[in-house]
Amino acid sequence: MSFLEITLFLANGFVFSLIIFAVTLICGIPLGLPIAFCSMSRFKPVRAIAKTVVWIVRGIPLMLQIFIIYYVPGLLFGNPIFTQIDRYIIRNFEIPNDGSLTQLLLTNMGGLVSVLIAFSINYACYFSEIYRGGIESISKGQYEAGYVLGMTKSQVFKNVILKQVIKRIVPPMSNEIITLIKDTALANCIMLPEIIKQAKELAATQALVWPLFYTGIFYLIFVGLLTILLGKLEQKLSYFKA
Amino acid sequence: MPILEVKNLTKSFGKTAVLKGIDFSLEKGQVLSIIGSSGSGKTTLLRCLNSLEFADGGTIAVNDDIIFDSDIHKRFSDEELRRKRLHFGLVFQSFNLFPQYTVLQNVMLAPNLLKKDTPENNKQKALKLIEKVGLSDKINNYPCELSGGQQQRVAIARALALDPEILCFDEPTSALDPELTGEVLRVIKSLADRNMTMIVVTHEMGFARDVSDEVLFMDDGIIAERGDPKVIFENPKTERLRNFLASYSK
Repeated sequence: MSFLEITLFLANGFVFSLIIFAVTLICGIPLGLPIAFCSMSRFKPVRAIAKTVVWIVRGIPLMLQIFIIYYVPGLLFGNPIFTQIDRYIIRNFEIPNDGSLTQLLLTNMGGLVSVLIAFSINYACYFSEIYRGGIESISKGQYEAGYVLGMTKSQVFKNVILKQVIKRIVPPMSNEIITLIKDTALANCIMLPEIIKQAKELAATQALVWPLFYTGIFYLIFVGLLTILLGKLEQKLSYFKA
Repeated sequence: MPILEVKNLTKSFGKTAVLKGIDFSLEKGQVLSIIGSSGSGKTTLLRCLNSLEFADGGTIAVNDDIIFDSDIHKRFSDEELRRKRLHFGLVFQSFNLFPQYTVLQNVMLAPNLLKKDTPENNKQKALKLIEKVGLSDKINNYPCELSGGQQQRVAIARALALDPEILCFDEPTSALDPELTGEVLRVIKSLADRNMTMIVVTHEMGFARDVSDEVLFMDDGIIAERGDPKVIFENPKTERLRNFLASYSK
C-alpha cells in the first residue's frame, strides 16, 4: 500500500473518531445541564439520584461503560438491540464491498450507536460537574441584585448568571473537549473501526507497524485546531471580569 | 401617614435571634440612618424589607400595601413577591453590578426585562440617571474598568431606574477606599436634597449626622435608641450608644 492509501485508510477511521467527538458534544453539552440542576436540587431524592448517577459514571472506566451499553441490553432483555440495527441495515441497504467509508459506516452502525450513547452519558456527567462548579462559583450577590430589581428567577439565570458561568467554564470545558477526541480510541474495544483500530488492522493484514504511530499526527493536528478555536472563544469572553 | 411601617419584626437564624422586635416608621421624603456595630441586625433588617430574607414575625407595610405579615401568610406567590419588592430599591455594600454589561446596559436591563416602558424611553431614562450620578462619560465602560466609587454610583442609578418608593443602602461605602467614599456620599446627599425616601445603613457617622432626618441605633437585635441626629450624636442617652460613638472618635 502506498503512503497515500494508508493515509486514506486511517482517515476513514478518523471519521469515526470525529463522529463520536461531534455527537458526544452535541448530546453531552445540553444533557449535562439537567444533570447539573438535579445535583443542585433542593429535593433530596432528586439530588441523591443525580449524585449517584454521576458517581457511577465517573467511577467506572469509560471502556467498561461501552461494554455495558453494547452487551447488557442483549444479556438482560434477550434483545441485542445494536446487533439488530446491523441486521436491519444488511437487510435493507445495498452495502458496497470496496473498503469505502460508506461500507465501514453501514456495517458498523450498531456499534457506533452504542458507543455514541456511552460517550454522551459519560461526558454529560463530567460536564454536569463543571457546570455545577461554575454555577455555584457565582456570588449570591449577583442573584440578589437581580431579584431586588424585580427579575424572575429564570430572567436572572438567563440574563445575569449564564454568561458569567460560560466564561468561567470555558477553560475546564476545553480540557474535557481535548480529552474527548483522544478517548474516542476506546471505541475499538467493541471493534469499531476508529483510527487506532484501522492502524491495528494494517499491522495485522499488511505487517505494517508504523501507521499505528502515524495516527498520532491526526490527533495532534485536530487538537491543535481545537486549541486555537477554544482559545479564540476564551479571548472573546475576556472583555469582562467575572 | 407614614410611607413605611414596620411592626414587631423578629428574625432568627437557627438559635441566634438577630432581630428581637423592631418597630419603626418612616415618612415620605425622609432619610433614616441606621447605625450600630456589626452583628446588631442592621443588614438583616434591610434584607427583610427587600424580601431577601423572610422575618419570623411581625409586619411590614408600604403605603398600606402589606409586604410581609407573619400572621396571614409566610410567603406570597413569586409574582406578588416581585411586585412587592419593587417598592424598595437596594444598593449593596459590594455593588453587585453585572460584570458582562456596560454601565448603560446595567441600568437598562431590569426596566427592559420588566417592560417598564418602551426600550427607547428606558434608555433615555437610564442616560438621565447616569448623568445624575455623574458618569455620562462612562456609559459604554464595563464595571471592571471603573473604580469602586464609580461602580457604586452606577449601582445607585440602576436601583433608581425602577422608581423605588424607598431606596435602601447597605453600608454603601464600606467596601470603598476613604478617598472614594466622598463621591458616593455626595450622590446620596443629592438624592436626599431631592426628597428621595431613603434608609441608609452606614458606618459614616458624619454622614448620618448631616444628612438624615432620623437615626436608629441598633444593638443586639433591638432599636436601642432613636431620634434626631443632633440629639443622638451630641446627647446619647444610653451607655451602649455612648460607647459605640466613642469608638468612632478615637
